[in-house]
Order: sequence, then C-alpha cells, then structure tokens
Amino acid sequence: MSSGKPVVVIEHLTKRYGDFTALDDFTLTMNSGQILGLIGPNGAGKTTVIKILVGLSRPTSGTAHIGSADCVADARRIKHLVGYMPDQFGSYDNMRVREYLDFFGAAFGIRRRARMKRIDEVMETTSTAYMRDRFVESLSHGMQQRVGIARTLLHDPQVLILDEPANGLDPQARIEMRELLIKLAHLGKTLLVTSHILPELSRICSRVAIMTNGKLRAFGTVDDISRQVSQQRTIEVQLGSASQISQAAQIIRRLINAGDEVIEAPAEATVRFRTARTEQEVGEILSQLVREAVAVTQFREVQTDLEEAFMSFTRPTAPAAPAKSSQSPLAVGAGGTANG
Amino acid sequence: MANPLIQRELVTLLRQRRMVLLQCGLATAFALLVVIRWPTEARMALALTGSRSQEVFRLFAYGLLSALLLMLPVFPATSIVRERNSGTLALLLNTPLGAVRIFLGKLLAVLGVAGLILVLSLPAAAACFALGGISLTGDLLAVYLLLALVALQYSALGLLVSTYVTSTDAAVRWTYGLVLALSVLALAPHQFLQGTGTTLADLANWLRCGSPFAALMSLEGAGDLGAAGLVSSGNVAGRFVLISLGLTALFSVWTIGRLNHTIFDRARNQGRISDDQSLAVRAARRLMFVVDPQKRSRSIGPLVNPVMIKEFRCRRFGRLHWLLRLVAICAVISLGLTYATTTSTIDWGVDTIGAILVMMQVALFVLITPSLASGLISSERESGGWPLLQTTPMSVLRIVWGKLLSVILTLLLVFCATLPGYIVMVYIEPAMRPQVERVVICLAATAVFAMLLSAAVGSLFRKTAPATATAYAALLAVCGAPLLVWLGRDAPFGHDTVESALLINPVAAALSVIRLTGFRDYDLIPANWWFLGIASVVCFIVLLVQTYRISIPR
Repeated sequence: MSSGKPVVVIEHLTKRYGDFTALDDFTLTMNSGQILGLIGPNGAGKTTVIKILVGLSRPTSGTAHIGSADCVADARRIKHLVGYMPDQFGSYDNMRVREYLDFFGAAFGIRRRARMKRIDEVMETTSTAYMRDRFVESLSHGMQQRVGIARTLLHDPQVLILDEPANGLDPQARIEMRELLIKLAHLGKTLLVTSHILPELSRICSRVAIMTNGKLRAFGTVDDISRQVSQQRTIEVQLGSASQISQAAQIIRRLINAGDEVIEAPAEATVRFRTARTEQEVGEILSQLVREAVAVTQFREVQTDLEEAFMSFTRPTAPAAPAKSSQSPLAVGAGGTANG
Repeated sequence: MANPLIQRELVTLLRQRRMVLLQCGLATAFALLVVIRWPTEARMALALTGSRSQEVFRLFAYGLLSALLLMLPVFPATSIVRERNSGTLALLLNTPLGAVRIFLGKLLAVLGVAGLILVLSLPAAAACFALGGISLTGDLLAVYLLLALVALQYSALGLLVSTYVTSTDAAVRWTYGLVLALSVLALAPHQFLQGTGTTLADLANWLRCGSPFAALMSLEGAGDLGAAGLVSSGNVAGRFVLISLGLTALFSVWTIGRLNHTIFDRARNQGRISDDQSLAVRAARRLMFVVDPQKRSRSIGPLVNPVMIKEFRCRRFGRLHWLLRLVAICAVISLGLTYATTTSTIDWGVDTIGAILVMMQVALFVLITPSLASGLISSERESGGWPLLQTTPMSVLRIVWGKLLSVILTLLLVFCATLPGYIVMVYIEPAMRPQVERVVICLAATAVFAMLLSAAVGSLFRKTAPATATAYAALLAVCGAPLLVWLGRDAPFGHDTVESALLINPVAAALSVIRLTGFRDYDLIPANWWFLGIASVVCFIVLLVQTYRISIPR
C-alpha cells in the first residue's frame, strides 16, 4: 500500500440536478497504491462521484482525471483504466460464473486465449475458482461480491472503484473481503471503496474521505481525522483499588480545565476524563497521581474511532469545528491532498 | 374488508400510473368505438333498425373482450411472483391468513380491476342499448356475464402461472402464451376439421368451445369462425360456461395447493457439469441430448458479438439443446401436415395445408418474438447489467446489434424448420411456387416487424414484465384488431373498410396470398409489405434512439 504518483485527480467537481446540488466543489487527489475509503450518509454524493469517475454521469462543472484520461472527454480510455463494481451485482440468469466472466472479458476485447488465462488468474486472486461452474444467480451475496470483483479485474485496470463491496456480507465474508482488498492493494491497484461499515474501512484504508451534502468534509488517515475531529482526548485511569477513586478524581479535576468531564466508575476502579490538554500536560497528571501515592495500574488514551469521527461530521449540528471553515474540508496527513 | 389482501392489492393496483392511463385509454376507446360506428341516421332519428344496432354492439363486444384479454392477464401473472421475489409472500404465508384467503384476496383484487374495465365500458354499452334492437338480458347481460367468466378464468390462470415462474417477465410470457393458446389457437383445429364427422372433429369442436371468441360469436349470432356456410353444432356458449367454470376451479385448487412452503423450498442449483463425470456418463448424455446442456461451454470466439452469445446463454430456452428441440418440433409438424395431405389421410387441399402452415408460423412468431425481444434492453436495466455494459468499450450499436442478432438467429431457425412443408407443397403443386415465395416474404416481414416492434416497445420500460406485457399487447393489437374488423366483413363493414384494416395485418396478408377462404378477396400485397417495412424502420429508429438516450451520461 505504498503511495506513489497521483492517479485520481478530482478538481472542483460540481453536479446539479435542477435546483438540487448533488456534488458541490468536490476536490480530491488519490495516489497510486492507496485504498481510499469514501464515506458519508445516504445521499451524501458518493455514488455521484463514482458515476462521474467511471463515465456514467457528466459533471455540471469541474474536472476528473484518472491517469491522464479525462473522465468526460476520454470515456473510452477510462473504461480500460477503471474496474467498476456497482452496489447492484448485475446478474444474468442461466449463466455460469465462468461464462459470465468470459462474456465480460470478450466485451473488453481480450483475445480468447489470453482471456481464458486471465479468467483463471482473477478467479485465483479472488478465490472463486471453486465456483466456476455454478450459476451466478444461485450464488450467495458474498460469493457474488467476489465474482463482481473478479469481473472488475478482468481487463487488469489501474484503478478499482467498488461501491459498497462489504454491504450485506456476514462477518466471515467481511473479513475475507477485507483481506481481498488488501491483497489487491498489494498487487499495485488503486482502490476507491465506499462503505457504511466504518470499522472495515478504518482497518484497510490508507486514506479516508468523509462527505456530506455533496461536500468533502475531511480527508486523511483515519488516525489523523480522528485526532482532529476529537479536539478533546479521552483518558482512562485504571486504579489498583476502588477506594482511591475519589482521591484520583480530585487530583485530575484540579489539573484539567474547569468544564472538562470526569467520570468515576467504582465498579471498574477507573476514572475517565476528557480534556483538550496537550500530551505533555496529560503526562503531568500521571506524574501528579503517582506523586500523591495513587496506585495507577494503567493510564491510557481511549482512541476515537472512525465511527465517532463520521458521526461528528454528519450530525446536523457539527460539534467539532474542523481545522478550516465549514465550507472547507479538513485536510490532514501527508500524501493525499484535499482542497476546498 | 374481511380480507386485508383485497384492499392492499386493489389499492396498490389502482395507485399505479399505468392504471390511470389504462382507464383513460379504455374510456376514450369505447367512446370512439360508438361514436365512429354510430349510424348517421341515428343522429337524426332514433327509429333505427335492430340489425344496425346489433352490428355496433357486436363490434363493441369483440373490442371489449380483446381489451380484457390484452390488459387483464398481466396483473394476476405478476402478483404472486413479485411478492415472492420481494420476500413479502413469505411474510404472508407466515400469517394466519392461509392459502385460500391469500388466493381469494389476490383473485378478488384482480377481478376488481376487471370490474373497473367493464364498468368503464358501461356508458358505451348503454349507448348501444339505447339504439334499440338489443335485448337487455339476451344480449347485454349475457355478454357481460361471459366477460366476467373470462376475467375469472384468466385471472385464476395468471395466478397459477405466477406460482411456478421465478421472474415477472417469465410470468407475463407464459400467461400471454397460454391466453393466446386458449382463446385463439383453440379455434384453429375446428377451422380445418369441421364437417369431417370424425372423433377428432368432435374434440376440435369442444376445444373450440373453450375459446371466449367462439362463445361470443355464438351469443352474437355471428356463426363460427370460418364456418363456410356450415351450421354450427351444439350450444357453444353453454359449453364455454362449463369449460370455463371447470378450468377456473382447476386453476384455483391448483394454485391454492401451491401456496405453501414448497414454493420457497428449492435448493440452489449447484451447477453440475458433465465434463467432470465419467466417459460413459458423458457419452450417454451426448446420445440422449445430442447437445449436452451440462457440458462446459466453449469460450466466446473471435469475430463473434459477445452480446449475442450472452443473450443465448442467459435465456431460459436459448441454449442450443432447447433450440434444437424447438426446430425439431417445428420440422416434424410441418412435414407431418404435408405427409397427411400427400397420403390422403386427410382430405385437405394444398391451400388449406398452406394456411395451416402460415397460421402455425405466425402463431409461433407472435408467441415467441415478444418474449425474446421485449426484454432486450429492459432486462439489462432491471438486473443492473446496463451500467456494466456501459463501462465496457462496446458501442451502443454493437450492443443492440448483438441483442437483435440473437433474436434474428432464433427466429430464422424456427422459420427454416417450417420450410420443408412448403417445399413438399411446391413439389406436389409446382404452380404454387410464386404463391409460396410471396408467403415466405410475408412471414419474413412479419418476423422482422414483430421483433423490432417488441424491441422498440420494450426499450421504453425499466422493468421487463411491463415491457413484455406491452409488447404482447402491441403485437396482438396489430395482428388481432384488424381481424375483428374482418369478422364484421359483411356487416357492418364494407369490403374497402375491411381491406384497409387488413393492410396493416401481416397474418391477413399471408393468408390472402395463400388464398384461404375469407381472405382471398382482399388484395393486400404489396401495400402490406410497404407498411411492415416502414413500421419496422420506424421501430428500429425508436429502439436506437431510446438505447442511445439511456446510454448518455447525464
């Protein structure tokens, strides 16, 4: 999952349907070998971005390039550069998996001999070889998703665009899908993945873009976004004995800001507090606890996960102020760029 | 309402936009029918002769029956299969409603729609009645009772089909096929066997009585189709009532018997393949099937349109072994008929055999073509395959051509399979050769027209079921409606009117060329070829424009 040169470059993309703005000045750059997770609530504009990238929709203004091909002007080149898996599988009745892949291989103009070899390769990659003679409509959802990915790989595209690949999968299939996506990234593919299952994205994506109402709200690594979103960090102090909880809470309250939240949990012998203090200042709190003979067995920061970050951006009243204005996306991390 | 299903089904149906269109269309059609055919003198004086009034009413009744047969079956046909595919049938079966109440709920809801269609026709019927000469009970009430029976029988049939198929478009295909077979094709054997006095002729007579058209003709006192002066035997309407009620009961019990867990109890197809089996099994299967359906298919070759191959492979009966069976059946029937004539087993003339062949071919085209061509575009849109095709480098023209090619090849196979009969016919009577050549052109034009009309109509829809239903309705309207005018060829319609109506009808054109009794007086060629040619070009343009339209990124 190494980051290379920019492969997907989207600049000031806007898409309007009459009075409704589906996409508003959307700008994003994606480097080769990255897995970008595009997340947002329903109607955020994710599918609109994807449709413009694969040439199924025209932007009202702005540009989108994959490689050096313009998604609007070079539609034919884009078809060879991109492997697209929509959220609907696109099944045909009475067709076996191998026939299904054979058809799409032929549709991409792959010669027969090369096609046969390629079908075997993509089936091997996606672990679908055992279902080659099964009828596509009789496959389970998870199997169909795998066959869908095999189809997108047939013409060996540089970029894979997968719309909700983990949607509707059981936990086992989700794990397998995650492993497959990582495998594809290791093969040098650039992946743009949308998903509602945020923990999945946080585990596999090198970059995450959060969008709402057609606008890019945040872009960067999961950790960076989480940190920036949550201006206050949550610290959990585990004590050796519940009897010292009050003492520990008093010390903490003394050292943090007046409005900061402190929660005592006697049953777990822990004290949790949220503070905007720096790491050094938080370290001082630990030192003070030790100095005052509080038996601290564990002192750790509770990580803000992607779900929390996502919620903070998608709540009607955004709680945490992004780094820039509300119109601008939060641009964090190195490698990827995002400009409003 | 006691049965919650009736309300849900009926309200759902009535909410649909197509229902509003259907109601408006019907009201306009019935009003126009009466206005156009209303005798001029009636506007000045209502003292009309009863016969003129009956002529208007006869036409109105045929129109109403045709409208019912064209519009109603789609509702019951899609009712159960749609529920099953959306998962709500499982929920329904899980309630205490029970199979009988579910069936009755659905049946009564469809009958509600049928009732609506019939009620919409009442003002036009009342206008006919006001002309005088029509008995309230003998004519008006009898016709409406017959129509109610037709609605009941075909609704039950549609529901039964709906429990067997796995997709809505298959439901529509099978239902319309069966409706056509029961209502129109059932008339054909009697047409050719009447007056022979054989057991076969008696059977054909009973079979004919199952057709609502025969019953309606009997009620209207129009005699039999192609009676050629023979006196109609038996009470056709009475027999129809018996047959219709019997079939309704049979279909109902059968459907209720299917409404249980077994409807879902199907294992997923494991995709057995004979390549992995022993040589003996493979050889036995080859012997049995000629083309083994479980043999691993070859990769798509170069210079072949992949869309065409895909269409053949994903069609239920598109695989080679099915096509071979179809071709074999057609060839056997075609040669069998000719053999029967040459050995004088049946005392039919060559022209009669020709007419049977023509009707068989036309019926095949009318039955097969919409089911092949109407879903070419709509099925891709419904299954989600269209965006995938769009992301391949294939052009729209290549996609459309590949799809049309798959239909053309199938129809060509069927067409060729029926040709041996003509060849033997020309061998028996060489003077018929020019006639046969013209018939072949007629049939080819019919096939092309049926394909392009179905494809063009189907391309206007997002879902295959309404696309197939509309394509069938459009094709049957072109092939059937002018024949209704032909039925009134002595009165109320004159020779010129009938000839004008038949000009657009490919069936009539072929039958006139073969010089079948009743059609030989009309000169329909080459005007019919011109019409079919121009209409086919228009349909092709509509198909292309519509396909380009849905392919343009928006």
